[in-house]
Amino acid sequence: MAIQFEFISSDTVMGKSSEEKINIIMKSVRKDKILVLEEPLTPAEEKLLIMKTMTAITRDFPGIEVCSLGNTVDDLKSRVIKFLGGKTSGLTVVGPSNLVHQVKRDPNKLRFVAGK
Amino acid sequence: MPFQGLFKWLMGFFRGRKAFSLGIYGNVNTGKSTLANRVSMDWTGEAMSKVSEIPHETREVIKKERVSIKVDGKELTINLLDMPGIATKVDYHEFVDYGMSKGDAQQRAKEATKGIIEAIKWLEHVDIALVVMDACLDPYTQVNITILGNLEARNIPVIIVANKIDKKSAKPERIRAAFPQHSVVEISALKGDNVNKLYEEIVKRAR
Ligand SMILES: Nc1nc2c(ncn2[C@@H]2O[C@H](COP(=O)(O)OP(=O)(O)OP(=O)(O)O)[C@@H](O)[C@H]2O)c(=O)[nH]1
Ligand SMILES: [Mg+2]
Repeated sequence: MAIQFEFISSDTVMGKSSEEKINIIMKSVRKDKILVLEEPLTPAEEKLLIMKTMTAITRDFPGIEVCSLGNTVDDLKSRVIKFLGGKTSGLTVVGPSNLVHQVKRDPNKLRFVAGK
Repeated sequence: MPFQGLFKWLMGFFRGRKAFSLGIYGNVNTGKSTLANRVSMDWTGEAMSKVSEIPHETREVIKKERVSIKVDGKELTINLLDMPGIATKVDYHEFVDYGMSKGDAQQRAKEATKGIIEAIKWLEHVDIALVVMDACLDPYTQVNITILGNLEARNIPVIIVANKIDKKSAKPERIRAAFPQHSVVEISALKGDNVNKLYEEIVKRAR
């Protein structure tokens, strides 16, 4: 089976609420896609993503693997940067756990094992 | 800032009457309930939670209210909250592998997902959080990072507990290296090693 990646640029999610962002992610993940978000999720969004995932779990959909790298702290500085249209560094990768088996990380590196 | 002073005093006043809530957080199976039982046993003589090698044993928030901890003559009353382990996936097949029937496994998975939501909802309401990690495993998990990120964003005091140091393969130094901004206490919740150090840290942080 071919593995599909989807790249979501900062511009795509610009101006969208956290709720809307999470809905976009969930939709793609449910279609067996692995998503790479140019703009990393904040801790509050990661929390929301886990809660949404928990309500979506069924026998056939066991959940997600997610990994955020870089500046994920939603502090004032990064909010100001975002408000001014700039980008904070980092990224988030999300995929369905029946496709992404393992995510290994260290502070600046990310490696994941995917396949069916 | 006179108002800030007044505010602090008022907070202290209300805190004095209200017990601190201490949330025990972490990945699944790291020994949260074993630790909750250890704390509860030490100060009340009673256990509070069920422990199991099967993941997602705790599927709702287990509370033990008004537990008084005394360190160096100082007393602190806490409400202990043993949280369900947080995960980004819950696969019922895993429980079947432990010998559970398919029906029981699916029921357990359903309860586990509810428990995770409940634990996350509590995140912003605890006064202190212990984040328990299994010192034998890679500490750099998304769950740990998400829990810590949310606690940090809300300025909730955090103590990282490097658990299971009685095991040969324990490498608590990896935890210290991964989260240098936090204090880490190395313990064995099972054997009771070093829990006094943890009590000291809790009392120190609760003000
Ligand atoms: N060797 C060792 N084993 C431990 C220690 N603490 C817990 N365990 C074991 O780890 C397993 C899980 O313990 P629990 O206390 O149920 O873990 P938990 O974090 O509450 O798990 P969930 O509620 O499922 O998330 C059990 O088999 C415990 O006996 C420890 O300090 N040393
Ligand atoms: Mg437990």
